[in-house]
Amino acid sequence: MTATMREPERAAPPRTAGRDFLASLRQNHLAGLLSIAVGLALWEVLSRFVVANPLFLAAPSQIVGAVLSLGESGELWRHIGISGLEFVIGYVIAAVLGIALGLAMASSTVAKQVCQPWISGLYATPTIALAPLFILWFGIGIWSKVLVVIFLVLFPVTINTEAGLRTTSPRLIEMLRSFGATPSQIFLKVSLPSATPFILAGLKLGIGRGLIAVVVAELFGSRAGLGRLISQSADAFNMPELFAGVVVLAVAGIAMTAGFGWVERRLVPWTRD
Amino acid sequence: MTAKLAVSVLSKRFDALEALRAINLSVAPGEFIALVGPSGCGKTTFLRIVAGLEPATSGEVRIDGKPVTKAGGDRGFVFQNDNLLPWRTVLANAMIGPEVAGRADAATRRRTLELLKLVGLEGFEHYHPRQLSGGMRQRVNLARALAIDPDILLMDEPFSALDAQTREIMQTELLRIWEQGRKTVLFVTHQIDEAVFLSDRVLVFARRPGRLQESVDVALPRPRTLTIKRTPDFVRYVDHIWRLIEDDVRASVIEEHA
Repeated sequence: MTATMREPERAAPPRTAGRDFLASLRQNHLAGLLSIAVGLALWEVLSRFVVANPLFLAAPSQIVGAVLSLGESGELWRHIGISGLEFVIGYVIAAVLGIALGLAMASSTVAKQVCQPWISGLYATPTIALAPLFILWFGIGIWSKVLVVIFLVLFPVTINTEAGLRTTSPRLIEMLRSFGATPSQIFLKVSLPSATPFILAGLKLGIGRGLIAVVVAELFGSRAGLGRLISQSADAFNMPELFAGVVVLAVAGIAMTAGFGWVERRLVPWTRD
Repeated sequence: MTAKLAVSVLSKRFDALEALRAINLSVAPGEFIALVGPSGCGKTTFLRIVAGLEPATSGEVRIDGKPVTKAGGDRGFVFQNDNLLPWRTVLANAMIGPEVAGRADAATRRRTLELLKLVGLEGFEHYHPRQLSGGMRQRVNLARALAIDPDILLMDEPFSALDAQTREIMQTELLRIWEQGRKTVLFVTHQIDEAVFLSDRVLVFARRPGRLQESVDVALPRPRTLTIKRTPDFVRYVDHIWRLIEDDVRASVIEEHA
């Protein structure tokens, strides 16, 4: 009943409905937190009393213990540092290159015709399969992983940037043209701002893909990193440490996506309901 | 008195379609002109050519004797859809014209704030478009065109998306604003009563090909209030214009629903 009562209020102007909206948000969070707590409890019970074999499944309490001890020994921070470095270098290069490529494709038909088949083809290909090849070429250090990250992050950013610029409302462009605006003014004052939500969506998509790239590339061969921690633990049947690596990755993914949501709300508030 | 706007044998073709045939028109400074006609008569195309948003196939548009082919700061366009930039505040939207012209200084800002007050948006300067009603958004649309202080205001069915009551309010507001600046106005509408209420002269367009059928001088006293819409004179004008376009409108309606 309350849920159906709240629906129309959400569509009302934010100032009057602000309090109700916050209340419903709190309710949603409450259910979510409860769901997580119950899930963890079930997991704990399942692992301790049903599976009851530390070679197959670690309980949440054991995972927390593993995270803490790995943190204390400094080993966890070493792995996070390496993986983080690979991710950041690859992600930044892919973001800059991807936006630049998208801009070029949106502003020149020739550039689009040249790039389009490659980008469509490589976006659809599971380029993660190239990781072993990159490791052969560039060794087991960080650069082979950086390259994998670039390959996975680049295409969604490029495709979204191009799509965002291409779908700029012709009416808004015409409005600016009626004031005698130059092409570069139209680009800066209309096309770019209206493409920003698309570009951010591409970058957001890139976070998950970049994390996958780092871990999978490290699984294929590395000296350190969270992927290395996971494969090492799997080889030793050390389930708590294996799950510790996974949990750290999950937390990183959630934190970065949430941080991105915050950036989006500040940069493109007009896309909110 | 020399003409503010002079149009001579202006024609426009879109491939096989003859959108406008040999339009001739002379508009005096400060004159309020309304353009009516059935859909497809080319009235909006005509306005867009005058604005410089569309090239003419042949013929000429002169402003103060000088031929124009491109958009410029001497003409302000008020769009049918408000076309506000959703990421800008009301004030920043209204300032876009001066900004494009490189004149977004403190004096322009003060003047634009005055304009927003004039169109009834005082206190809403820092709102975003999504927080405004349709009528308020059209007020921003108007203020944005006025902000470049144009000689000629080109208005393309600006009130057509508004409900009937809001539209009548906006009509009186527009006249109030116009009385203060007395800019030359070309106002496209498909509503005959709106055309008669606002203008000094109604240009009646016909279709296939789009052409100027008749120019009707509206000799109603100013300033006008909404009550004038119920006077016999007003009704006579509306009736006369309706008779002129009735057959054309019927034909276009049948065509659209065929």
